[in-house]
Amino acid sequence: MMEKRLSKALLFGGVFLTVLMVPAMAFAQQAAPVVAVAWQLGAVKALAAGLAMGLSALAAGYAQGKIGSAGAGTLAERPEAAIWVITLQALPEIIVLLGFVSAILING
Amino acid sequence: MVRAAVKTPASGRDYGYGNARVRGMRSRLLAGPFLEELVEAPDVARIFQMLADTEYRSDVETEALKGRTPATMDEALAVNIVRTFRKIMGFLNAEAYDLVTTLLGRWDLFNIKSVIRGKHVHLSADEIEDGLYAVGSLGTVDLRLLAGLPDTRSIVDTLLTWGSPYGEPLRENLTKYESDGYLALLELALDRFYYAWAEERLAGRGVNTALARGVLGLQVDSINLLSTFRLLKSDIGDVDPSSFFLEGGAHIDRELFLQMAALSDVDEVLDALKSTPYTGRLEAVVVRFEQEGSIAVFERALEDYVLRKALDAGRGDPLGVGIVISYLWAKQNEVTNLRIIVKGNSVGMPADRMRRELILV
Repeated sequence: MMEKRLSKALLFGGVFLTVLMVPAMAFAQQAAPVVAVAWQLGAVKALAAGLAMGLSALAAGYAQGKIGSAGAGTLAERPEAAIWVITLQALPEIIVLLGFVSAILING
Repeated sequence: MVRAAVKTPASGRDYGYGNARVRGMRSRLLAGPFLEELVEAPDVARIFQMLADTEYRSDVETEALKGRTPATMDEALAVNIVRTFRKIMGFLNAEAYDLVTTLLGRWDLFNIKSVIRGKHVHLSADEIEDGLYAVGSLGTVDLRLLAGLPDTRSIVDTLLTWGSPYGEPLRENLTKYESDGYLALLELALDRFYYAWAEERLAGRGVNTALARGVLGLQVDSINLLSTFRLLKSDIGDVDPSSFFLEGGAHIDRELFLQMAALSDVDEVLDALKSTPYTGRLEAVVVRFEQEGSIAVFERALEDYVLRKALDAGRGDPLGVGIVISYLWAKQNEVTNLRIIVKGNSVGMPADRMRRELILV
């Protein structure tokens, strides 16, 4: 069930991105007026930056949810492992940071 | 079906929380060197003292108030294992809860058999209670009530009144048991019922279900093998050997069982088992069996095998039910080892003999 949903989501995402990217590339190839290309490209860049940030935040949230659940279990039995659990809990934040940096690079 | 403890299992199939807790509990299992120190303990009082520094502290200290005797230690260990298993059942997710409840049903089987055996040999209610573990669906109060009943018929009637599924197979064989006094009839009926019920519950798909089914299959094989060895030593007359066979084994099917049942000595049986993984384990203890002449030697070897396989289940998927199954068997083995040490110490058993009886993993 989950696999079907995931494939549908991927398919939808792929089509969505293609629809957005194709006109931008077409404009770039046709050497259309500079103003129009800049507008389209800017929109795509903004969207890509948003996706980079948003998807990485979602992924980090998912990872932190899983780690938090296991971490709570560990702390219930071994409170002495708190430092390890907190460290592991914070680790997925790197994914968001990478997404954030990617978003800046895309826009920069 | 078997009455389950009142509980709302955690949602779905998230094993993260439960398995992390079980791993934490596993880290507190007693290590081999500590057991070695216990074996060398001069008396039971010293064992009490040493266990008071472990996971068993609260139970050991509570029971020590009644006296530092092997009986109170047994009681402390029983309370500890029941508390531990019930705690685990309290935080498992829905899937793991179903699978583990099914596997723990064997404790109901063990308890009901113990009560019936106790009544069969006219033990007192207290003596029967000492050997019971309220780990399955029957709680401490239920078991105490059963142990206090006057005879087997009243036990069967009470189980039927409670709606326990174990009542029906007992009722079907009760009249014959009362006329022949042949206890194995009731025990076999219980075994047959439980393993058929468990097999049905574990018939679903999925890696975790398959894993639990594998462990159940090994237990069925163990019972079938022990039945084979018992058949070698007894004259069953006109009774069909297939009536002792339990379906659902992992490696021993009906054909192999009947083939072994027709053999006349242990060596031939071991030869017939060549295609199964049991042959090595059993061959390793055959000399001891010949020296002692007791099937308990094979029983312990098979327990050892099933235990190791159950522990292997915990080495697979870290987010699967194997972690829980593995812990349950490891904990049970630890308590069995402690009971052996305490009993051995109290009767002056030599340390080497004790070491031989222990299963260290």
